[in-house]
Amino acid sequence: MSAHPTLASVIRSEWIKFRSVRSSIMGVAITFVLTIGIGALITASIRTHWTSHPEAHIGFDPVTTSLGGTLFAQFAVGVIGALFVTSEYSSGSIRATLAATPRRVEVAAAKLAVLVVSLLLVSEVAVFVTFLMGQAIYSGVVPTASLSNPTVLRAVLFGGLYLTLLGVVGMALGWLLRQSAACISVFTSVILVLPIVTFLLPSSWQNAIGRFEPSTLGQSMESVAPPAHAFSAGAALLVLTLYAAVLMVAAATALTRRDA
Amino acid sequence: MIAIEHLTKRYRKTVAVDDLDLVVQPGVVTGFLGPNGSGKSTTMRVIMGLDRPTRGRATINGRPYHDLRDPLREVGALLEAKAVNPGRSARNHLRALAASNKIPFSRVEEVLEFVGLASVATKRVGDFSLGMGQRLGIASALLGDPGILLFDEPVNGLDPEGIRWIRDLFRSLAAEGRTVFVSSHLMSEMAVTADQIIVIGKGRLITQGSVDDLTAAAKGSVVVRGSDRERLEIALRAAGATLEAGNDDALRVGGLTAEAVGRLAFDQGVVLFELTPERASLEEVYMALTAGAVEYGSGAS
Repeated sequence: MSAHPTLASVIRSEWIKFRSVRSSIMGVAITFVLTIGIGALITASIRTHWTSHPEAHIGFDPVTTSLGGTLFAQFAVGVIGALFVTSEYSSGSIRATLAATPRRVEVAAAKLAVLVVSLLLVSEVAVFVTFLMGQAIYSGVVPTASLSNPTVLRAVLFGGLYLTLLGVVGMALGWLLRQSAACISVFTSVILVLPIVTFLLPSSWQNAIGRFEPSTLGQSMESVAPPAHAFSAGAALLVLTLYAAVLMVAAATALTRRDA
Repeated sequence: MIAIEHLTKRYRKTVAVDDLDLVVQPGVVTGFLGPNGSGKSTTMRVIMGLDRPTRGRATINGRPYHDLRDPLREVGALLEAKAVNPGRSARNHLRALAASNKIPFSRVEEVLEFVGLASVATKRVGDFSLGMGQRLGIASALLGDPGILLFDEPVNGLDPEGIRWIRDLFRSLAAEGRTVFVSSHLMSEMAVTADQIIVIGKGRLITQGSVDDLTAAAKGSVVVRGSDRERLEIALRAAGATLEAGNDDALRVGGLTAEAVGRLAFDQGVVLFELTPERASLEEVYMALTAGAVEYGSGAS
């Protein structure tokens, strides 16, 4: 009674579900548009103002700036992850899903696998495209970075990982909250509102708490040199992975304990 | 075979199912009747492993649902109409279910054809009518060619032609030796569909038996109208009958057969204008049985 053939068929089932609804396709398209489109806007704007704003040259990072679209795309991937789960609850199809696969952990694992593989592919393609496009826009006027530099390669690669992990966070919230609106509110609050609240705290607190916020972790991961008081890129990846893992464990526990 | 032993399901303070015991046998259509809120859907969800019982258990051929490997091949269920992502096509919905239980996609086309949805297989389920949604639900129940089938209020939303189709389907499934368990809050529907009937109210078993048993158990009455009502009344009372006033000077007599009432009238020299034996309909039996067990009285939906 090996578990793998069963899990493989559940993954196949979830893959059919993922690719057969417009929300996933739209979400993927929006992720591309936001990452690449906003990246193009930011880099073009920097190029235009480069010579007239010498003060912006200090600490300039051609990698982070070209990946600026991920600040917006992170909401798209969060929604993709959340909707993959909440759409089952809003339509009631979760009952058919769990009746077909009563071992609920397998359902959670299969959905996670489909999401991670899909988002990894989408996010990495998006960040590498936006990076290369950004350097092409900078070229000749603004200093550029090259993927032959391992730190640069790491920053771009981690940009894709950041988006993928936020998608997982969205999915875990989907299992825990079951409602799209609730998930999107919580997700947006954590990403957007938390940094504002932290900003209002005394600076010693800011430094202690700020580094644990997902958005700060993202900055560390996507830049060549991490911001002040932040984790190193590797540590940031570890912390964010830990968040996603803890939330997914909580999600799977809730799924197996609660009535469908 | 479905077996339910001492099943209790409590949601916070409400008790949905209260120490229920029942067995659903193969080869017949078993109707599962009760007013709205009587615990039918909860019982079915527990059978399907979707809700966890507070106490007791439900088993499928002796095993809990959770232990079934590729359960769609053993149990098929229609629990809710149109419980499908509205953006997905009927074919993709069925393919996703089939894939999870290693059912070949050729079977998806078979069931689509069977329920009459083959021509709209690629349409978004969101554009389906309620009746088409029910047919899709039936297709998914039949997908794994299971020996046990559960249908929760399957007739809702179906047109008369669809209702006839589904009745015939239940009968033929039962005739093939399958277990067919159908819930409804309408006795009239079950009277023409089911062989065995289980009636519950407020989560408790009220009665079970064949349709004939249930109607036979209910006492009929005789409506009698004659030339001298008072004389008839006195004689009937003397014979131990219970009397109720009927329309048009008629009497509704309980506890005596039509023959006995006729002879009595003859002995008294009363000319009879009407003598009608009335057998209680299954509907009336059901109303009488569940009268004390209606969760939401009239006024609530």
